[in-house]
Amino acid sequence: MGFIGKGLLEGMVVTARNFVGSYFDKERMVTVQYPEERVQVPENSRTFPFLVFDDDKNPVDTMRCVACKICEVECPPQCIYIVMDRDEKGKPQQRPKVFDIDISVCMQCQICVEVCPFDAIKMDNDYEKSQYGRFNELVEHLPDLLKSNEYYNKIKPREASGVDAKLKADKEKKAKKAAPAASKPAAAPAPKPASATARITIPDDAPFTPEQREWLGKFLVTATPAAGAAAPAGEASAAQLAAPATGEAPAGNWPWHDPGMGIQQRLELAKNKPLADLLMAAMAQTDCHACGYDCRGYADAIAAGSEADLSLCLPGEAETENMLKKLMEGAGK
Amino acid sequence: MRSWFANAPDSILLWVSIAVPILFIVSVFPGIFAYTTLVERKALGRIQNRLGPNRVGRWGILQPIADGLKLLTKEDIVPRRADAFVHFLAPVLAVIPSVLLFAVVPIGLGLVPVDLNIGILFAFAISTASVLALFMGGWASRNKFSLLGAMRAVAQVVSYEVPMVLSAVAVVMAVGSLSTLAIAKAQSGGFLNVTRWFVFRPWGLVGFVLFTIGAMAESARTPFDIPEAESEIIAGYHTEYSGFKFALFQLGEYLASIAMAGITVTMFLGGYNGPGSGPGIFGGLISMFWFFLKLACMIVLNIWIRGTWPRVRVDQLMGFAWKLLLPMAIVNIIGVGFWHYITIRPLAWVVTTLWLVIWFMVLTKLAATENVAPRTYRYAS
Amino acid sequence: MELIFWILSAITVLGAILAITLRNLIHCVLSLILFFLGIAGHYFLLRADFIAAVQILIYIGAVAVLMLFAIMLTRHVTGDEGPREVLGGKWWAGMGTAVIIAGLLWAIIRKDSLAQTLPAGTAATSVAEIGKALVANWVVPFEAMAVLLTAALIGAVVIALEEVIRKR
Repeated sequence: MGFIGKGLLEGMVVTARNFVGSYFDKERMVTVQYPEERVQVPENSRTFPFLVFDDDKNPVDTMRCVACKICEVECPPQCIYIVMDRDEKGKPQQRPKVFDIDISVCMQCQICVEVCPFDAIKMDNDYEKSQYGRFNELVEHLPDLLKSNEYYNKIKPREASGVDAKLKADKEKKAKKAAPAASKPAAAPAPKPASATARITIPDDAPFTPEQREWLGKFLVTATPAAGAAAPAGEASAAQLAAPATGEAPAGNWPWHDPGMGIQQRLELAKNKPLADLLMAAMAQTDCHACGYDCRGYADAIAAGSEADLSLCLPGEAETENMLKKLMEGAGK
Repeated sequence: MRSWFANAPDSILLWVSIAVPILFIVSVFPGIFAYTTLVERKALGRIQNRLGPNRVGRWGILQPIADGLKLLTKEDIVPRRADAFVHFLAPVLAVIPSVLLFAVVPIGLGLVPVDLNIGILFAFAISTASVLALFMGGWASRNKFSLLGAMRAVAQVVSYEVPMVLSAVAVVMAVGSLSTLAIAKAQSGGFLNVTRWFVFRPWGLVGFVLFTIGAMAESARTPFDIPEAESEIIAGYHTEYSGFKFALFQLGEYLASIAMAGITVTMFLGGYNGPGSGPGIFGGLISMFWFFLKLACMIVLNIWIRGTWPRVRVDQLMGFAWKLLLPMAIVNIIGVGFWHYITIRPLAWVVTTLWLVIWFMVLTKLAATENVAPRTYRYAS
Repeated sequence: MELIFWILSAITVLGAILAITLRNLIHCVLSLILFFLGIAGHYFLLRADFIAAVQILIYIGAVAVLMLFAIMLTRHVTGDEGPREVLGGKWWAGMGTAVIIAGLLWAIIRKDSLAQTLPAGTAATSVAEIGKALVANWVVPFEAMAVLLTAALIGAVVIALEEVIRKR
């Protein structure tokens, strides 16, 4: 039998019960007492980028970033600033000396993550980034940005395990391809011929992709002091390296395949070589796969006519593009 | 100390007798206001399955102080084309009637700041003056929405004043005097000083309900908070106020609500009467305790209702006041007449109760809004 | 208590003067409210507290609000303060009216029977006595006023209803 106001009184009973029950039933409270407790953010949430390194004991050496500058170019608000690390002689070290991200500009679009060919930059989900200043305090430098692979696995387990599996598979594929061609006494692609004295070897557990190993191998061969004596060995190793690495191009000596060299120097070295070699010399030599190929592959594709776009070499930027255009016009294509 | 009081010249005593109640009112009731806001926020939080403020001091004890400091240090923005004088005056006019209302509320046996023999009439006269503040606030902001909010607020307050005053008339008729002290004294006696409260009479119960509803509408509390509802009209008449002027509006509103609760307690719930209240120092202290306990109960009721009921729509609001509450208040007055003139108590009970119940049923039938057809729903297929 | 009388009178007269000289109409109504408050104070001084309370309740709580609504609804909402010409500029009409009223007042105040001081020790008229007088001695004027107010109320509703019907 409903009288006027019955619903009102029933409502008041409900709220009274809720009020009293809130003292006894603590789980029903939805308040999260920040900063003592925090809400668990979902795995896909993202705030700002960070750089991944693989070995805790040596973060700077084991960081995956090779300073190819693709993320800097692709970033829509241009919030990344990279300077490649060079040693005393000017040789590039394939890692950044300066890597700044201005998080007051970063719009968290994740494009830098999507374009990185080395899985070096990933999105963090740490949102507690308040600072006391508006400008310099909000620029993150390399030491702040380097975080370990374990951290990456902790915050994004599914994504990180996928990346780890892919890297491991790539490494195994490279190792399998290099194994049959290791007929020379120099055996595995990684260790150098024993005749070299002050030779730097790349340990097996260094986290390089097979392409990186290949490039490093070639580079170390040409960069060591006994380079002159090791040149033939370098050629040999380059030959044995080149064969399994790129199945499409003939094994050859590419002395211009050095990202530290200027474009003029590279073209000098490639003078009087076939068009494909000249085209390769015009590129940035980082083998970053931004164009979709490695440097040799891109050059071969352009020369063969299967690739018409000359602007794909991102690290090379306009310099490379113009040179490619000139070379193609000169070749009458 | 007593000899000092006995020997002091009359003028000093006059000033002391003026200063003490003023100091009491000015210090105690804003303190009650501040902690009412905290209790309200925590209680509403627990009703809504969340904790209220608990960061500033343990259990949020210092939260009202933090709020006051924050509002004090905020920039005071006056819109450029606003009427600066009226804009300044509106919050002041919001607080003055609310504070003046406490002058006629007896907080203990014989403890009323001013014993006017037109006490209740004075209280209603002052509370109508608070209407002006609403209007001035809305007008001075030079904001069409504020103006609209102010007009609706004035309409609401004026409409609910009428049944409120008429339900108080019933009490005045039963007591025979407009003085609040006399009304409270008329409810003393009886078993444990409780059974003679007017709320236990049929006309008193109806009057209590009517008066409480009217008091909630007067101070624009939910469910009658159309004037300041955030989702309806931003903040209505106090949209353009920031900083301390906003705090003064809040102060005025809450103080009016507390004062009206105090008057409700005085008129219907027996004022300071309760077991143990009586003349003498000890009895006086007990009476003060009972008064504040009942005041706290009324405030809790206000907060409870705020956390439970949804907001009334503007047309429903006006219809409720004019079609149901006002006739019910008039019927209640006639009911008091029956009670007073039928000297045989049981017969008086029966007649009054029947009269009120029958009229209530008739009026709710008559006041029912236009026949709403049962709702048909059309779902997307 | 003479001082209080003079202070109250000063406030009252100030309110009245401001009410006719201020440019902004809303300010005029606010000074009129001050005037009403002063009159209520005078009633308190004359120990007619019921009338004083009713003055506040009715004049300030209802009449002033009505005036504010009227101004707000009929003037341009932003409150224009253009120059106003009272009585169409015929200043001599206003002057003549003022002279007539002043003369009447002087004539009334001069006659002793109307201007009396309160005998000392007059008790305040209590509400009970006023109530009894209204329904015993003055019941006919009381009922007539009730009928008049009801008629005004019904008339207002009818006018508003006509608007609504016409709009439809």
